[in-house]
Amino acid sequence: MSSDTSGREACVIGSGMIDFGELFDQSTDDMAERAYLNALDDVDHGISPSEIDAAWFGTLNIADDASSGASLAHATGLFEIPVTRVENACATGSTAFRSAVESVRAGETDVALVLGVEKMRDSAAGLIEGAALDQVWRGRGVTMPAFFGMRATRHMHEFDTTEEQVAKVSVKNHENGAKYPHAHYRFECSVEDVVESPTVTYPLNLYDCCPVTDGAAALLVASEDVASEYTDDPIHVAGSGLSTDSLLRGDDEALVGFPATTQAAGQAYAQADISASEVDVAEVHDCFTITELVTYEDLGFCEKGEGGTLIDEGVVELDGETPVNPSGGLLAKGHPIGASGVAQVVEIYEQLRGEAGAVQVERPEVGLQHNIGIGRNATGSVSCVNVLERR
Amino acid sequence: MYEPPFWRDRDRNERLAATECSSCGYVSFPERREVCKRCGERGEFSETTLEERGIVQSYVVQNRLPEAFETPLPLAVLDVPQVDANDGEGTGSEAGDENAGEPARVYGLFTETDPEAMEIGMEAEAVFRETFDIEGLPVHSFKFTVPRGESR
Ligand SMILES: [Zn+2]
Repeated sequence: MSSDTSGREACVIGSGMIDFGELFDQSTDDMAERAYLNALDDVDHGISPSEIDAAWFGTLNIADDASSGASLAHATGLFEIPVTRVENACATGSTAFRSAVESVRAGETDVALVLGVEKMRDSAAGLIEGAALDQVWRGRGVTMPAFFGMRATRHMHEFDTTEEQVAKVSVKNHENGAKYPHAHYRFECSVEDVVESPTVTYPLNLYDCCPVTDGAAALLVASEDVASEYTDDPIHVAGSGLSTDSLLRGDDEALVGFPATTQAAGQAYAQADISASEVDVAEVHDCFTITELVTYEDLGFCEKGEGGTLIDEGVVELDGETPVNPSGGLLAKGHPIGASGVAQVVEIYEQLRGEAGAVQVERPEVGLQHNIGIGRNATGSVSCVNVLERR
Repeated sequence: MYEPPFWRDRDRNERLAATECSSCGYVSFPERREVCKRCGERGEFSETTLEERGIVQSYVVQNRLPEAFETPLPLAVLDVPQVDANDGEGTGSEAGDENAGEPARVYGLFTETDPEAMEIGMEAEAVFRETFDIEGLPVHSFKFTVPRGESR
């Protein structure tokens, strides 16, 4: 894997998001426009729309109203520039970010906009029903909680991970989310609340699952050469990785985790020239509690099978050694698919700049963002990892 | 619903017909390819047939599904061995037996099975059932079940 970034570095110079929630009074365009304007307003020395050279638009288009780059142009007024719509399942947002970073690194773009948006609550059927009845059912009846729950059953069997350890991920993230202003759900819950909540798909209960949430988030990415025109405190994109795997290729690792995450993290760590132990704060994909627990292992925060111990020891708590999901993660903040990965980078950007308010981690210098999606009729996953640094 | 996919895979689904990669031994089911999903080689593929049973590697029990589905509904990832792998060295092609050839790893819906009986490592029987219908036309495929009285 090449760690050559062509000499040009990409930096985040501004970020913006909206308060996530059930936003029946806002359209896809309303949310996208607001996140975009928040990102413009966030740039320390200011930026004019005419300085944006290209844009990447992340959406799964759940509401069927944002099928191309044109949607971004309509929401932001950014016509006459290249706009690319990116879709990579639940890893859409961070893949859009990665694409912008690649273009800036390649010298094609000086200032890029990344905009992720998803209107989840306009669809009556909901994701499970839509999936069960259509594409995913065709792949033998695998819904989202089933795909991720499969790892939970096997992890508990193989490593004696307990239901309580898995539940602690939800407890931690809700505790953080209660302090995070953009989160959809801002309440705390106990281990008992999680294990006694209704079973969605054994072994996952309601509080093991992220809610159905509308939202949008935006980032401005600039080449290091021009970043100082916009801010004295740019955040460098030190590494980026992307990989895919399949549960049906037969490797047993895919039964207790996501090989694509290990591979994407390996790429990102190599580019950034760091090891997992150097990560100070992380926003990781917790669509379900078990996803976060196995991701500790896949990212190298602990050995395979030790995820339960890691959470028992408090390492990933807000005041722990490696805080994970200070924002409350997808479990509390919500998971508007196209926006989720972009919002995670927004949060890491705020953390590294010391602007994360009530959920600020103590002086982080290296932040990691991880986003995973189900691919191809639920047979495999696609995983994106980005490493950001304050220098 | 997309109809052509069911028609394309029908033959292999209904007869448990699979292909085995000569480069790495990967067993592809039900789809047939020219490149191997595991080793990526443009290898030779030989025809093989899977046994009508599988070993549960992991499972879930789906409780919340649209009304069209019966719940609770167990779903598993299973390893399904090949029939008479390598010149029929016995039919007991357990994983780990060097001559047995690899099993195929598949998703399997369960039917007529008590969710409480589900266990990692257990053997389940493959049975042919109507998976669902498309505007009245039935689509058949294999499902899995724990033989009555043989739950272990
Ligand atoms: Zn092969």
